[in-house]
Amino acid sequence: MSEPAILTENLTRNFGALTAVDGINLSVTAGQFFGFLGPNGAGKSTTIKMLTGLLAPTSGRVRLLGVDFAADPVAVKRQIGVVPEGMGLFERLTGVEYLNFVGQMYGLDRETSKRRSDELLHFMQLDDRPKSVIADYSHGMQKKLALAAAVIHGPRILFLDEPFEGVDALAAGALKALLARMTERGVTIFLTSHVLEIVERLCSHVAIIHKGRLVAQGSLDELRAGISSDDSTPRTLEQIFLSIVGHGGATRSQLEELSWLT
Amino acid sequence: MRTRNSRWDIFGLVWAAIFAGVFVVGLCWLLWWGAYFSVSTRQYAWLLLMFWSVFLFWQAFPLFIAGFGAPFEFHALLRFPLRFSTFYIIGLAYGLADFAAVCGTCWLVSIAVGVGMARSSLLPAVALAIALFIWMNITLERLLSSWLERLLARRRTRELLFGLFILLSVSAQFIRPAIMHYSEGAHGSIQLQRLVSYLSPFPPSLAGSAIIAAGEGHSLQFLGSVGGLFAYIAILSALLWRRFAAQFRGEELSETSGSVRVAANLSSVPLERKSDPLGFLSPPVAAVLTKEFKYLGRNGFVLISLLMPPLLVLLFSSQFAGKHPSITHTRITADSFFPGMMGYLILMLMTPAYNCFAYESKGIRNYYTAPIRFRDVLLAKNLMYAVILIFEIAISMTLLSIRIGLPSTPVFAATLLALVFAVTGQFAIADWVSLSFPRKLEYGSMRGQRGSGVSIWIAFGVQILLGGICTVLLLAGRWTQNPWLPAEAFAGLAAASLAGYFAALDALSRVAEKKKEVLIETLSK
Repeated sequence: MSEPAILTENLTRNFGALTAVDGINLSVTAGQFFGFLGPNGAGKSTTIKMLTGLLAPTSGRVRLLGVDFAADPVAVKRQIGVVPEGMGLFERLTGVEYLNFVGQMYGLDRETSKRRSDELLHFMQLDDRPKSVIADYSHGMQKKLALAAAVIHGPRILFLDEPFEGVDALAAGALKALLARMTERGVTIFLTSHVLEIVERLCSHVAIIHKGRLVAQGSLDELRAGISSDDSTPRTLEQIFLSIVGHGGATRSQLEELSWLT
Repeated sequence: MRTRNSRWDIFGLVWAAIFAGVFVVGLCWLLWWGAYFSVSTRQYAWLLLMFWSVFLFWQAFPLFIAGFGAPFEFHALLRFPLRFSTFYIIGLAYGLADFAAVCGTCWLVSIAVGVGMARSSLLPAVALAIALFIWMNITLERLLSSWLERLLARRRTRELLFGLFILLSVSAQFIRPAIMHYSEGAHGSIQLQRLVSYLSPFPPSLAGSAIIAAGEGHSLQFLGSVGGLFAYIAILSALLWRRFAAQFRGEELSETSGSVRVAANLSSVPLERKSDPLGFLSPPVAAVLTKEFKYLGRNGFVLISLLMPPLLVLLFSSQFAGKHPSITHTRITADSFFPGMMGYLILMLMTPAYNCFAYESKGIRNYYTAPIRFRDVLLAKNLMYAVILIFEIAISMTLLSIRIGLPSTPVFAATLLALVFAVTGQFAIADWVSLSFPRKLEYGSMRGQRGSGVSIWIAFGVQILLGGICTVLLLAGRWTQNPWLPAEAFAGLAAASLAGYFAALDALSRVAEKKKEVLIETLSK
């Protein structure tokens, strides 16, 4: 059996006394569209940061495509694309300048970088404002550009932290089609999103992290099977999620405390 | 790590505050004594000069050294249900948080105390005049800085302002020769007093005149001067009201506006047809270098700072060297002046290298997610500074060769080698400081921008040390009667520092990996 595209062993990260990620063991097979879920502050972004080299683990190991991240970070980074939390764009460059920059950073020659930049800008419908610097882009446009930058070098694993946040429905449809096509071609996609409907529609496999610990992992069917026992039990991903991490909604007494508002 | 950095930063700031405090208190003492002397002896022209000095400092300091000002983040206020009048008052009050405003206020209070101690009957008049003068200064400073930020936010107006700035800087050099010419050899202080007499309709003269008129018992003249100050305040307030009203309506400062032609020209040229001038560099180094130059070209304040060194070299050469130095009257030789000016250039131009990630913001993450060694990033950034230095030094050398001539060959060679030694020696240290004590600066913004306190002090210390070594070695040539000794010594040091620099790059890459969390967190705020 081939090595998983993403494998973590007891991955842990402490911030002082706080354990943000507590010994998680993830395994994502190549070509999977993998959803990584969790409530706010559960440790999703910290995990993605450790998987992409933005944060060093306190302990544990990350192996991507069979290569130990700590041992050969450059070789690993060459194979991955990232849309980090907050996007991390150089806001005083134009879209095409930024994509050229990223292309060259990933070792593409200038000509290839330019050609791919033009194609990606066209696909993302960002080519109508070639003179605008990124700071003048809307949030959705910046998100699309960040996605374009993440795929310009043809990565084998794509890490996406809230990729559809602020993206209009039209562009989101095109992006989903692109991502689905990439997984068909063997690219592994690791995605976090708070919109469970999107995850349910796109992802074949899901992991749920809660208070830094991995509390569930498997295909959607496996998760459903794990939760369901009779007809009245939850079926949607949202119901599975809530049943695993606990009901997060406000209670009636809590709402009554805000009676001045309602 | 963050706490430790903050502690170092505070340590640096404390030292800066001590020096600033000595400067402010020293001048408070001087102005108090000057005001006391001026009123006691009825030599009122000095009083006018003091008001002019405070005025010029108050208005010019924030423009040239804008690091310590409190930025007025008007966008943050707009979401609150504020009336415009409240918004205006808050905006104006920010003007009091400026370093120049604090200094100016302290100095004006010192003048008031000096005048009051000399003649206590003048206290009400001096209090009124100084209160109005402070109000006028705050309003004017807010007006100038908000307009400048507005203008410099757009590329086209920035280019026009550059032209204006150059013209002003060059023109300013003719002020002193003009004064010398028309004063017919009169003493410096008398020249200044004469000059001030031509400036009587302006606010500093009006503030001083009000006190003088009160002292002489000329009520009408006092009322006229105070009325003049009121008129200035009214006009400036009306203009500031308009400026703030635009901000209150949600004005957006956009980089793109006004850049259509420049960008259109760039985009109309297919990239493939252009030869690649950076083809000799690896793609990551070329990418970072290209990005650095694009950022530089779009940052008006940094570009302005690049204009200053050659202009100041030109200015110093007219004051201290050349055939007719206007201050020393004795010509400093090119052998002494040339190395000194080159050292001065390094001092001015190398400081930004000590916080070279200042404008990266969240983009810093690109360097950590890309498959590169961090040494490539540092190399590209240092290359950019090297290109700027070479360009600025070449211009300054040309200016100096025209103004005072080139130094002797041994001194010329020694100076060039000393430059290589000083610059490469500093790059490694500057890179380490940039990684260890990063400080985010707002791109294209004028106010509220300052580097880390620690990095400023380390830069200062390193430059003093290197400057000392270079001076001693240059003088060693004279002491030993061997003119080529400094060049030989600097050749050895330059080779050693170059080797040391390249050897340090890998170690610095490890530092970058170690410090990445602090760096990302600090710059992504």
